[in-house]
Amino acid sequence: MKRLFQGAAVAAAIALASFSAQAQTPPNVLIVGQIAEPKSLDPHAVTATNDFRILVNLYDGLVRYKDGTLEVEPSLAETWTISDDGKTYTFKLREGVKFHDGSDFNAEAVKFNFDRMLKEDHPFHDTGPFPLAFNFSAVEAVNVIDENTVEFKLKEPFAPFLSNLAYPTGLIISPAAVEEYGKDFGRHPSGTGAFKFTEWQSNQLVAAERNENYWDGAPSLEAVVFRPITDSNTRVAEMLAGGIDIMVEVPPDNLASFKSDSNFKVAEQAGPHVWFGILNTKEGPFADKRVRQAANFAVNKETLVNDVLQGTATVAAGPIPPAFNWVNSSVEPYPYDPERAKQLLAEAGVEDPKLTFYVTEGGSGMLNPVTMGAAIQADLEAAGFAVTIESYEWNTFLGRVNEGLESKADMAEMAWMTNDPDTLPYLTLRTEALPANGGFNSGYYSNPELDQLLERARRSTDQSERAELYAQVQEIVHDDAPWLFVANWKQNAVTTAAVEGFELEPSFLLNLKDVSK
Amino acid sequence: MTVATSSGPTPAGSRNQVSAWRLLLNNRLAAVGLVLLSLLVLVALLAPLLPLPDPDATAPAERLQPVLSQGHLLGTDQLGRDILSRLTWGSRVSMAVGFAATLVAAAIGSTIGLVSGYAGGRTDNLMMRGVDMLMAFPYILLALAIVAALGPGLMNALYAIAIVNIPFFARNVRGVTLGLSHAEFVDAARLSGKGHLSIITTEVLPNVLPVIVITMSTTAGWMILETAGLSFLGLGAQPPQADLGSMLGEGRAQLFTAPQVSIVPGVMIFLIVISLNVLGDGIRDVLDPRLRSGALLRPGPRTEVHSDRAQPANGFPSAVLNVEGLETGFVRNGHYSSAVKAVSLHLHPGECLGLIGESGSGKSVTALSIMGLVNSPPGVIRNGGIYLHGDDVHSMPDTRLISCRGSRVAYIFQDPLTTLHPMHTIGRQVEEAISAHQRLDRRALQERSVALLERVGIRDARERAKHYPHQLSGGQRQRVGIAMALANDPDVIVADEPTTALDVTVQAQILGLLKELRRERGMALLFITHDFGVVAEICDRVAVMKDGVVVETGPTQELLADPQHDYTKRLIACVPEIGRGSDFLARVRSVFDAGNKP
Amino acid sequence: MSAYILKRLLSIIPVLFGLSIIVFLVMSMIPGDPAIAILGSYATPENVERINRDLGLDKPLVQQYFIWIGNVVQGDFGRSFALNRPVLDEVLERFRATLILAGVALVLCSVMGLIAGVISAVRQFGWADKAITFVVLAGISMPSFWLGLILILLFAVRWRLLPASGMYAIYGGGDLKDLLLHLILPASTLAVVAAGVIARLTRAAMLEVLRQDFVRTARAKGLPERQVIYRHAFRAALVGVIPVIGIQAGFVLGGAVYIETVFQWPGIGAMLVKAISTRDILLVQGGVLIVASSHVLFNLAADVVQTMLDPRIRA
Repeated sequence: MKRLFQGAAVAAAIALASFSAQAQTPPNVLIVGQIAEPKSLDPHAVTATNDFRILVNLYDGLVRYKDGTLEVEPSLAETWTISDDGKTYTFKLREGVKFHDGSDFNAEAVKFNFDRMLKEDHPFHDTGPFPLAFNFSAVEAVNVIDENTVEFKLKEPFAPFLSNLAYPTGLIISPAAVEEYGKDFGRHPSGTGAFKFTEWQSNQLVAAERNENYWDGAPSLEAVVFRPITDSNTRVAEMLAGGIDIMVEVPPDNLASFKSDSNFKVAEQAGPHVWFGILNTKEGPFADKRVRQAANFAVNKETLVNDVLQGTATVAAGPIPPAFNWVNSSVEPYPYDPERAKQLLAEAGVEDPKLTFYVTEGGSGMLNPVTMGAAIQADLEAAGFAVTIESYEWNTFLGRVNEGLESKADMAEMAWMTNDPDTLPYLTLRTEALPANGGFNSGYYSNPELDQLLERARRSTDQSERAELYAQVQEIVHDDAPWLFVANWKQNAVTTAAVEGFELEPSFLLNLKDVSK
Repeated sequence: MTVATSSGPTPAGSRNQVSAWRLLLNNRLAAVGLVLLSLLVLVALLAPLLPLPDPDATAPAERLQPVLSQGHLLGTDQLGRDILSRLTWGSRVSMAVGFAATLVAAAIGSTIGLVSGYAGGRTDNLMMRGVDMLMAFPYILLALAIVAALGPGLMNALYAIAIVNIPFFARNVRGVTLGLSHAEFVDAARLSGKGHLSIITTEVLPNVLPVIVITMSTTAGWMILETAGLSFLGLGAQPPQADLGSMLGEGRAQLFTAPQVSIVPGVMIFLIVISLNVLGDGIRDVLDPRLRSGALLRPGPRTEVHSDRAQPANGFPSAVLNVEGLETGFVRNGHYSSAVKAVSLHLHPGECLGLIGESGSGKSVTALSIMGLVNSPPGVIRNGGIYLHGDDVHSMPDTRLISCRGSRVAYIFQDPLTTLHPMHTIGRQVEEAISAHQRLDRRALQERSVALLERVGIRDARERAKHYPHQLSGGQRQRVGIAMALANDPDVIVADEPTTALDVTVQAQILGLLKELRRERGMALLFITHDFGVVAEICDRVAVMKDGVVVETGPTQELLADPQHDYTKRLIACVPEIGRGSDFLARVRSVFDAGNKP
Repeated sequence: MSAYILKRLLSIIPVLFGLSIIVFLVMSMIPGDPAIAILGSYATPENVERINRDLGLDKPLVQQYFIWIGNVVQGDFGRSFALNRPVLDEVLERFRATLILAGVALVLCSVMGLIAGVISAVRQFGWADKAITFVVLAGISMPSFWLGLILILLFAVRWRLLPASGMYAIYGGGDLKDLLLHLILPASTLAVVAAGVIARLTRAAMLEVLRQDFVRTARAKGLPERQVIYRHAFRAALVGVIPVIGIQAGFVLGGAVYIETVFQWPGIGAMLVKAISTRDILLVQGGVLIVASSHVLFNLAADVVQTMLDPRIRA
């Protein structure tokens, strides 16, 4: 432990050792309370936002999201060009950048990264698995043009490509480190990022120190330490006790007390997140569109976001979250109108509709699933549905929901965080995306018009055209109501008053380079 | 520890059947537990009849109301549901699951234990290995895995908890069954041609039942906690149904902002479980056969003396020890009954008094009363004075009495295997006897102890001193007992049947030793025995006891020659004399017939 | 003696073997598979199949088991799917933390339990006995996770006396003092339950021993009551309580699951819970085997200590 921060101020350490009972964080070292231990520090091997929050500080991608937006700006690539047919991307790479292990960042390195993920015959493909590799499934080949130029050939035009490159799955790792550590690379990460990995103590901490040679200017923090604290109460307690400087995903109920306490600062940021209930459109009461709409009218979403979630979310209107602000949709959420719901149920001629509702215990982006589930159940019952909740632990839940709801359930909670408006509807609402075809359309919704719109929107490279298409998507899905639209999460974080320059990103990533303390 | 007999709980056993229930209520803590638990169960049972709001009715706008708010006595939870109502319904669910799991675990576990213990051999081995495996599997993980496999829900949580607790029942029941399977009545049943199943159910089970009940009463609370634990991890009741664990688990998110949401169910769990535990503790005490016999009462350092005992004056001021009008008895189940009554004895310096009588006549109680060594509770010295050099022993303060023990009056007890500490070497035990009254350094202590052991005729005493009591023969152990008694040159030695447990030759050696020592050191000896042959050999005077009373006393020779009391005659007649075996029965018959004549 | 220990050690092997089969069976019965845990929301049947193939989970269960056991015999416990790390590395690292926590808790609960039990027996039915009985039963009657949270709330948040969670201070810590500070709350919480059981048993054992003839002998020798109780009665009672402490060690290890979660202790209990939820079958295997072995070893150690204390068994 001590040899960890060799570069850090020794005097501070001595002074602090005598006070270690008072949970005081050391100066210029930022301690981040995470919700869990990372699975791996190999950006291509992980899927959780929790892990991404660490990774973006250790690695860079070719491109990255501009501060406070979901727009793409240069990072390791200084410039790029897109061919007219939208199938060839050519990146001019930043020169003189080195990985933390001292090896050079160049076109070969970029090729290595994508080939490892995408090519089954790559010598290091077995260091996977790479669950999010499908983000780049459109890539046909990665070609090295010269030392600092790399070319991506796509099979077909794919609008979200750049955005996907900016996503953590597109972060660039050191080929030399992969060659050295093989399967253990995830524990010995090496990137080009603002912080250099120093140590990982199982379930205790992941530590990284300042990268003095960072191409974008060395960060002012000496080091960052990510502490996994799975229990949210313990996390709050550590924050209150002064054991951590930043905590993410503050439980809604604690937010108000942090806001009113001058020792803390609260950051909030809406992100591309949707919390919804998948409705089984194939069988049972929800096969009828009017019943699906009735459910949307019956649930009091305002109360859910304002009371249950204490204002940490807004009411969702459709599958496209408002964080994609360039999609100018005018669709308003379903209002709370239990009378209307009853009327629709009567019109549909469904008497006493019985529902089985899958609820999960927790999970990425699921907010407060049990309480939310109970509240939704109560509202639906009030409108005349008979709802039975079945709750499952997250991985069981995913197993059950992802294989389709048929003959099991009528409704299931779900939440997604994405980086492009394409991802969610494309994976979950297309006819082609049925579970049998390897998609996530667990409610068997099918609308050929929507399928066409989505295909067009992902091939188009014109932002305004895409904006128009996604507005239509929003409208159609809203009206067909294959889901119960509930909430868009505003992520939050609390820092101590001493932390400066901290901002949350709409991408849900945690950029600590410009933070000081 | 001088507790007056009338006050203080004295849950000592008695033979009447009513006592179990009374005993339980006598234990105030257990009684409180019983009342509390009954109350909680009653409320839970009556939940449907109580004027409570719908426990599942949400009102998010009124969430997290504090305790004692309008319309919500205990406030509201994170969805604005009434906590009191959820608490009542939740307790109902939690208790039902906890009790049901207890029953299931008891049924399956006891069956395994019965079969395993009864069958023995390979079956036993196999079943117990299985139980070992269950035990070695971290219990929460086992429950987690079971629930993960079966899916969530109360019934599955119930099974998981039951399975996890099977080993306790299996092990406890097996242990008892194993002992019973070779008991005579089981063998008899087997010989009479009863089938195994019927033997297990009719012969073994009834005897194992108390163990099952004890295990149930002590694990029920634990099971409710585990139910809560599983629900806490989200594996119990399905929302919106309330159970205490899920209330706690869900309410935990508000621990810092609205602590009542989780503290209320936490306190409820606490109340249920503690009432169960307190009650279980009481039940165990009641059903435990040792406690019923009073064997699990803590004896104080000296026998309790009744506050208004009659204390006759010292009639023999010259005696080294004089017992005047001693009455000692036992309090059982709140009732006093005397064991010895109006016993008066005296011992002059250097004299040997024999105290003789059959077992149960009160000899030992008399002997132990002298230095307050009758275990108390339940023993009480009701009346009498015991004068040691003219000072009343039972008026002495504790420290003085204790300092007289061993130094002025020393004891030699009957069965030296149980009266010596099994885990200390005999050398150490003798040294301890010395150092209790004399300040000596380690070396000197050792030397003295070895010398004492040598004096009482233990060969290789230095080597032997390092041995433990179980490594010695009965005679040697008795010599150690004598050595300890001699350690401080006491004025009086009370020897309570010191030779009874020994075979005849060793007995003779020990008697010889005692005689020799008495001559050598001039100690007075109170010699307790049931054997007139022994008395004749060693005692100057004899007192005969029957049913707690001294019936006759006098110089040994006179008494032997001319016994006055029928009882004495019979005792004397029972001593076989060498060479007169042929007419022994005739002689004995005559005195017994005479004694039986009205 | 050593032959006895050897025999006991050898008897662990079939238990572990049986356990490993149970773990494989139970884990395969749990719906959902490691691929879903790795893929998270992106677990489509297609992706799942691909990853299962990568991990060798598409083979029949029996074959998987034999591959695993074959590797274990050669000292290779496989790799954790979820952590992408050798099982043995993770398990040993985590087990060390649990051992520290459970060890300290065990010492704490033994000391507290024995003292409370002796006082309770000596003052039977006195106020001290009643108070101790109540406190001890109260300790057994509280959900440990709840107690843990309340302790954090009081000692770390309200009074700021002790660290709220973790094993070492992040910075400037790492020494023994730091470790002990972090241990106080979780170890005490963990100790409370086991202390209760030990206290009750000590009380019963003391009461039984105090009735024994050799205690009367000690009194007849004129020993002061203190010596009678501690040197004679307690010594004999201890022999009966030691095996129970061994069994409690198992419970302390098992109970560590909640405590490790609440206090964010990097121990094996929390690891196993996570491993079960991520269907990390090999990690569960490794964890269960080490916990079960230590369970058996604790019991063995208790028996050995008992034997050493009691010369009658020693022979």
